[in-house]
Amino acid sequence: MATSLVIVGVGGQGALTLARWIGEAALAAGYDVRIAEIHGMSQRGGSVEVHVRFGKEVYAPIVEEGGADYVVALEAVEALRAYKYLKPSGVLVANKRVIQPPGKWVDPQFVLEAITKSGIKAYVLPCFDIAMELGSPIYENAVMLGAVSKLLNLPMPESLDERNREAFRRGARLVV
Amino acid sequence: MKNLIFYIHLNTVKILLLGNEAIAYGALAGEVAVATAYPGTPSTEILETLEEFRDRFVHWATNEKTALEIAYGAAVAGARALVAMKHVGLNVAADPLHSAAYTGVEGGLVVVSADDPWMHSSQNEQDTRWYGLQAYVPVLEPSDPAEAYRYAKTAFELSEKLKHPIILRSVTRVSHVRAPVEVEPPSPPKWGRFSKDISRFNLVPAYARERRKALVEKWGTIGEVSAELMRVEPGGHVTIVTSGVAYNYVKEAVRLLNIDATIIKLGMPVPIPPKIRELVKGTVVVVEEGDPIVETQLRALRLETKGKIDGYFPKYGELNTRKVAEGIAKALDIPYNPPQPPKSPIEAPPRPPVLCPGCPHMGTFYILRLATAGLNPVWSGDIGCYSLGINTGQQDLITHMGSSVGLGMGVAVASKQFVVATVGDSTFYHAVLPQLIDLATKKVPLLVVVMDNAYTAMTGGQPSPSRLIPPEKIAETFGIPAFVIDPADIKTSIEVTKRAVEIVKSGRPVLVVSKRPCVLVATRKARKAGVAIPKYKVEPEKCIGCGICYNLLKCSAIQARPDRKAYIDPALCVGCGMCAEVCPVDAIKGDGARVKWLEVWQQA
Ligand code: SF4
Ligand code: SF4
Repeated sequence: MATSLVIVGVGGQGALTLARWIGEAALAAGYDVRIAEIHGMSQRGGSVEVHVRFGKEVYAPIVEEGGADYVVALEAVEALRAYKYLKPSGVLVANKRVIQPPGKWVDPQFVLEAITKSGIKAYVLPCFDIAMELGSPIYENAVMLGAVSKLLNLPMPESLDERNREAFRRGARLVV
Repeated sequence: MKNLIFYIHLNTVKILLLGNEAIAYGALAGEVAVATAYPGTPSTEILETLEEFRDRFVHWATNEKTALEIAYGAAVAGARALVAMKHVGLNVAADPLHSAAYTGVEGGLVVVSADDPWMHSSQNEQDTRWYGLQAYVPVLEPSDPAEAYRYAKTAFELSEKLKHPIILRSVTRVSHVRAPVEVEPPSPPKWGRFSKDISRFNLVPAYARERRKALVEKWGTIGEVSAELMRVEPGGHVTIVTSGVAYNYVKEAVRLLNIDATIIKLGMPVPIPPKIRELVKGTVVVVEEGDPIVETQLRALRLETKGKIDGYFPKYGELNTRKVAEGIAKALDIPYNPPQPPKSPIEAPPRPPVLCPGCPHMGTFYILRLATAGLNPVWSGDIGCYSLGINTGQQDLITHMGSSVGLGMGVAVASKQFVVATVGDSTFYHAVLPQLIDLATKKVPLLVVVMDNAYTAMTGGQPSPSRLIPPEKIAETFGIPAFVIDPADIKTSIEVTKRAVEIVKSGRPVLVVSKRPCVLVATRKARKAGVAIPKYKVEPEKCIGCGICYNLLKCSAIQARPDRKAYIDPALCVGCGMCAEVCPVDAIKGDGARVKWLEVWQQA
């Protein structure tokens, strides 16, 4: 059977790259892979959703509601939106960061509490803070990659550069 | 092959390729020499990939008809040619497509059309395979990127063998899926030489009648070719006939339902191979994405089927494993309990598509709103980024490429209302040029606004001819007065646009060209060149919370705090300075680098 992931974030955060890294690692580990890039009309600032499935034999490129083993969210509001994809036994891995949706101010504390009290197994991780410690928000997705790879038991992708490798290692230490 | 991830695995080289990239590499292996397209999601990456190969003729055409004509001409001359577009683009190219079937080709002609079920970025759903039936052009339908690669190559071989155009139909979940593909190095391009054949290539009635007879005859033999691309996966006494991306969901569904079925996968769903009649056994379930094209043909062979026609599968939208499993279970009368999704603890506020921060269109819409204040215009829109003017209530009518001026003229003539037709530069050349001639000859009072951002921006920034052939020059040639404004200079632009509005009120058409390149292209170039991009800030003690910057200008980098005062997200602001211009109390401040930045931006 295949492992199904739904990766979400806000346009510009690197969700697509994160999905490709996971796909690359899964391919290197000898699995078949499907990555479906679900981008809509918005280039920047819109919701981004990517589906990744890997396993010995994979056919369907998309994950349906109630079918994801993992929801990986680079942004906390998007984590709530993608919640419906989770299997009841699924795991949510969410970045702490909240990016305000247009026209509506949401209280970050409220969003994070909703996630932690939801009853589903959830990791809420400071990927953005670590990325800033490393010098730039662009490392946010590599920190998340480290954490997710640890949970999925996937190797570090070959194509990461040195800064991203450091971010990866910091992310891997977030889940034990 | 840059930026690609290679894997040497059991002596094979596998690359994670997007379906569209796979089609491009398949075409390269298939000796493609000429490749043309008009960009459109989900088809754009095909030509973007081919653009890197400088030994071929690769061209972004003004529209799909022109694109197909160039490729068709090349194939008539014996070369191998590919043309790519999205499903709605095939409507534009339908005229030459039908002729191509009559004359046939000498080299290979592959028409790639990517369908977009459930309209992720389209105005309608459409199944390209109807055009195959209608135009007598066989359709190949790959199920995943690896097959897209193989079928692209096969399509060229078949096209040249049959001397007939071939359609390669993709859908969003093939074009935009990344999967491992084994890729061979590109083959050298195959060019050609035109050999005259009067009775074949001149579709005047006397000759065309003969070609029509030949075409119908040829169609019969193509059924045999279709059989070669059919794959039968033997199993029990139930038959599932499927094609394209639907095959994947069938494979997952039969495993979920734990049934033993014979699966017949059609590589060429149009025309279906007549011999399929002898291969089916038991109940015949048909699973396909789009319209019931295979099913309709099976019924014409007098087979009883269970598919979309009787509602076993939904007649709109994309398939997924659940929908397919549910449909098969219903057709076979077996139980299926799909997983129940958990409920989110709170509902996430929507993040609807918005114009990018600093988008020139956001300035243009603001200028238009103020310049037409009190006129209550009808906003006649068009396809492109500016359709997001819907967010400020400045789009009332968006139906297809070129609807802005065409439908706008109709509304103006019928109702005498004040009409503003907004169109982007790429769409202007694609579909509005001929309408401009009608506008000029009939002198319909219409305010045409060309939002000239110098690129086909919504699909990622393909080139547009606007700098070589400026829209205002064309309008003037046609006798339509034209004004040029800069959307970043809001105050001056409102004054100029008001002058244009006066001309329309006096009963004549006017063109306003709002010129500033796409902000995404500009910031990309500025970062590379090391040009500083200023950031703007709100001074909270000055802000009166009027909302002009976040409700009317609607910059998506600006949010309303709970006390209604504005807040600019520094990570999103691109320093256009439009907000500072519109703020009535001067509460927004930049950091001084604006003049230089706007200059660099205008050159992007
Ligand atoms: S300068 Fe103002 S209008 Fe322009 S992107 Fe920044 S916040 Fe938006
Ligand atoms: S336009 Fe000026 S005053 Fe009005 S909300 Fe924006 S910053 Fe505040």
